[in-house]
Amino acid sequence: MSDAIIQVRNVSYTYAAKRDAALRRPALLDINLEIARGSCAAIIGITGSGKSTLVQHFNGLLLPTSGSVIVDSIEVGVESAELQKLRQRVGLLFQFPEAQLFERTIYADVAFGPQHLHLTRGEIRTRVLEALEMVGLPQREYAQRSPFGLSGGQQRRVALASVLAMRPNILILDEPGVGLDAEGKEEFYQCIQSLRQRGITVVLISHDMAEVASLADQLFVLHLGHLVIQGEPRAVFAQPAALREYGLAPPPLSSLLMQLRQRGLPLAADIMTIDEAFASIAHVKQINLSSNS
Amino acid sequence: MNKRPLIDFQQVTYAYPRMGNGAQARPALASINLQVQEGEYLAILGHNGSGKSTLARHCNALLTPNSGHVLVAGMDTRDAASQRRIRDTVGMIFQQPDNQIIATIVEDDVAWALTIRGLPAEEIARRVSETLEAVNLAHLRKQSPQRLSGGQRQRLAIAGVLALRPRCIIADEATSQLDPLSRQEIVRLLQQLHREYGLTIIHVTHLLEEVMEAERVLVMEQGNILMQGRPTTIFADLDRLRALKLIVPEPLELAARLRTAGVPISPTALTEEAIVEELLS
Repeated sequence: MSDAIIQVRNVSYTYAAKRDAALRRPALLDINLEIARGSCAAIIGITGSGKSTLVQHFNGLLLPTSGSVIVDSIEVGVESAELQKLRQRVGLLFQFPEAQLFERTIYADVAFGPQHLHLTRGEIRTRVLEALEMVGLPQREYAQRSPFGLSGGQQRRVALASVLAMRPNILILDEPGVGLDAEGKEEFYQCIQSLRQRGITVVLISHDMAEVASLADQLFVLHLGHLVIQGEPRAVFAQPAALREYGLAPPPLSSLLMQLRQRGLPLAADIMTIDEAFASIAHVKQINLSSNS
Repeated sequence: MNKRPLIDFQQVTYAYPRMGNGAQARPALASINLQVQEGEYLAILGHNGSGKSTLARHCNALLTPNSGHVLVAGMDTRDAASQRRIRDTVGMIFQQPDNQIIATIVEDDVAWALTIRGLPAEEIARRVSETLEAVNLAHLRKQSPQRLSGGQRQRLAIAGVLALRPRCIIADEATSQLDPLSRQEIVRLLQQLHREYGLTIIHVTHLLEEVMEAERVLVMEQGNILMQGRPTTIFADLDRLRALKLIVPEPLELAARLRTAGVPISPTALTEEAIVEELLS
């Protein structure tokens, strides 16, 4: 890949557990992967597969036990002076980030990060307003309101704005859709799409296959610290047996279509959307209906 | 049959107290009437903020009505002296199992509530074994809860409640933080507890795919019960569910579109398996 913003080469990582020998099993084993600039990559796997361990290498929260991680031309962990620069370029939104909101106004919450960057008041203001705009919470309406009066989805977008105000090139999202209702998810996903149009590379950790199917263009499946499958969603979801082996369920639509195929309905293996599924089943059924009559 | 319902909501209204001097809060429950029969499997659907958790919390006196009454096995939830017995009758599990797991060993966690109720040691031991068996955690009884997966921890939380021998278990969004396979595992466990022990189950969720096998589904919006009926009745109107900010499972949506286009699929086919059978017949 010519323009990889993240390059992971032969990375292994073992947690330094003092007492517990069982925890000394490597959490990552010889991982090699590249994430293209401007893409949306999803890291999927069951609890304990190593996905959180892996993404924590992307902003230097963890340093590889062996191998190297290069993020936006910075080799992680080689020079400690670079680490701060790296963390500004790589924004990390944890699970349930709305739990981290604490200020009296939305403006103050989003301004908290930039205030620690030695910026002028005007620069801080520009960044806050821009970030609020990016997450679809225009300042005129929202800046002076309390974050605690918002819906769950809006609160999550305030937390996202706080990360965006640091102007990252890469955004890591840990389970962005968990706990949101349909509307909250839809708005959050639209927001992620609009960030990609601005050139921000998105890395998401998810076990919601429908979420992954709608957002990501590259999937990496981890299992017990190994990278076991990688590819475009279409190709990965066409391997339901392998996914199940790694404890993952393919999206319900893929699973339905797979059962139909196994029982003899001639459907293509890489159907992803309801429109495609509808078209191909209607096609098959009409042929059957007309040949019966 | 005029058996007394296990849980009886009579004109229940509730609004959360407002901090500061804001405008009058919209009620989280607006004049709810609802009877849950012993042994029923009831699902409550609704998006975030629809009032479904508030309703669930009234079922075991975690919240009590501003006006109206909730009777649990005939006991009024506003009667402070009855609240302990009400909570032993109706147990609750939440989104985050870690919030109700307290011990450092699985079997101790299940024993905890029994111990503080002063049950004899042999009775505690018996119930712990039976309960761990019922939730399929017997092989992990000496483990630390921290070493369990999310689904296993939620099963442990269920065991902690089950050991008190409740008549009803409420699962309040108990699957929403789990991966899809663990989620199915918890839903199956609830169904099994209902089938095998006749437990009343109240399953609160925003996920349509989890309520297909419920006996009755309520759909809540703005503190009101907007729709109720069998799953086949509720899922006959997908547009309405979508308008209520609920996510229609893809297989169901596909089935509906094919049916409209003239492919014969029975409206009673709600699950993936049932839709597959219909399409192959």
